[in-house]
Amino acid sequence: MKKRLNIWIVSLGLLVLLVAAMALCSTVGVVHFDRKSLLESQIFWNLRLPRVILSVLVGAALSVCGATYQSVFRNPLTDPYVLGISSGASLGAAIAILLGLEAHLWGVGGFALLTALLTILLIFKIASIGNRMHTTTLLLTGVCLTFLITAVISLLMALRQDKMESIIFWTMGSFASSSWLDVWIVLPVVTVGMLVVLFYSKDLNLLLVGSETAQSLGVEVEKVRRRLLLFTTLMVAFCVAACGVIGFVGLVVPHCVRLICGADNRRIIPYSIFVGGLFLLLCDTLARTMIPPNELPVGSITSLLGAPMFIYLLYKSKRKI
Amino acid sequence: MIEVQHINCSYGKNEILRNLSFNIADGSFTSILGSNGCGKTTLLRCIAGLLEPQKGSVLIGGKPIGNYTARQRAQMVSLVQQHPQADIEFSAFETVLMGRNPYQRHLQNESQEDWDIVEQAMKQTNTWHLRLSLPSQMSGGELQRVMIARALAQQTPVLLLDEPTSNLDIAHQFEIMELLRDINRNEHKTILIVVHDLNLALRYCPEALLLNDHSLLYQGPTAEALTPDRILTAFGVRAQNKEGFLRFEK
Repeated sequence: MKKRLNIWIVSLGLLVLLVAAMALCSTVGVVHFDRKSLLESQIFWNLRLPRVILSVLVGAALSVCGATYQSVFRNPLTDPYVLGISSGASLGAAIAILLGLEAHLWGVGGFALLTALLTILLIFKIASIGNRMHTTTLLLTGVCLTFLITAVISLLMALRQDKMESIIFWTMGSFASSSWLDVWIVLPVVTVGMLVVLFYSKDLNLLLVGSETAQSLGVEVEKVRRRLLLFTTLMVAFCVAACGVIGFVGLVVPHCVRLICGADNRRIIPYSIFVGGLFLLLCDTLARTMIPPNELPVGSITSLLGAPMFIYLLYKSKRKI
Repeated sequence: MIEVQHINCSYGKNEILRNLSFNIADGSFTSILGSNGCGKTTLLRCIAGLLEPQKGSVLIGGKPIGNYTARQRAQMVSLVQQHPQADIEFSAFETVLMGRNPYQRHLQNESQEDWDIVEQAMKQTNTWHLRLSLPSQMSGGELQRVMIARALAQQTPVLLLDEPTSNLDIAHQFEIMELLRDINRNEHKTILIVVHDLNLALRYCPEALLLNDHSLLYQGPTAEALTPDRILTAFGVRAQNKEGFLRFEK
């Protein structure tokens, strides 16, 4: 057998890299410090640090969810937003913006979270037959609901053109207004969710081979699938509520990891946590520092940076996804 | 012992198995025969615990199969399916290693013992040289042998196979059947196999279950199951047994 590097050693290396990157990224920005003035230390502690932490959390969560969905649905094209959670959240955010709740603490985020959770409930309700969850129905329901909700949002924007800009800006995703509150709300959900996925990472391999095979090899398929979907959708809902829709990370980071280290989810899941966190951290740092004092939408940076990297890996790799 | 007691199975309004009962003795090598759509695969899925019959029960070791956990079940019954997945990105070795899953806890890595068992299963099925190959790089026969190796790595007393020879040429059919016969003889595994080729069943499987019209037509020695009369009833084909070899006419 080909000797592979120990998972713990690679993970530790990636963790060190991530922490170093976090330290580095929190020191760069429009305001440069010598950490002496009160204002500067305020900026560091209350604006930049929570933003750095949140971007790492969201990047890690989205990547893990993408990897999970790709195995559960046995479809390489699935990303964390495929079940329509993002559009559900966007609808809530749009309503909150129309109601003028932007100034309230987590007014928009809270609404987004609420509608995201309602969307999940609706999708699970539709796709459950008895106590079984039909994955194709689940995917199709998600895609259809996305269309439906996007249409509603467009209508809302057409009716209230004065709010159009803020709605569009929200749906593009941004960490510009991240606070410690966001971190404290997202952190527990993401931590628990990632631990659950890690716990079931071996079962994900078997699900990838096929649900009947998994069942005959001792996996309680329905139970495992239900738990994985529950925790990953919760992670996505909280992430979207905190920072809007950030595309590409959840689709491509797991694939990049897979191209490098193979199909084993026991590697893909932990590595995706670190690589996803690192990737989104770098993208967000670029987004806020490239054309100071303005910010670029982080979603466009993820695609601009990620797509060529991914195509290069695809081209170089002998493995296919 | 496998005890199938009065099971009824249907998909929607489609009745697949009707009041089916039989026992399979430990260490026997039994073929399941019958025309297309008579419920052979469904029966196998019921015994494997993948499908719960609407009525009746399947008992293994005196206990209904549904009362075991998935892990316990996977330590007793292994299943080789009809169409092995060829589009996955796991090497043959990783695939066979999955057969050890019922013995591992979550987050637990494979032990040296698991590796040894996998190596032995792969050598036994003559697939060790393919251990680094992906399914897409293997022929149908090789892939089928890898799947049998995975089932062997599960170390179950019962081995179920759903038409493992269906896509193979005659030499590979013999190879697979001889492999199974050796496993049955040397390791005393109970083997239940769905076969379409009646001559193959006659040649390798001492026992047979002949299904017809969603229920059991005959259970017993294969040579007695495959009389011209029963073949006519079950398959609607005339047959002659010439020196232990069946010849068919329309």
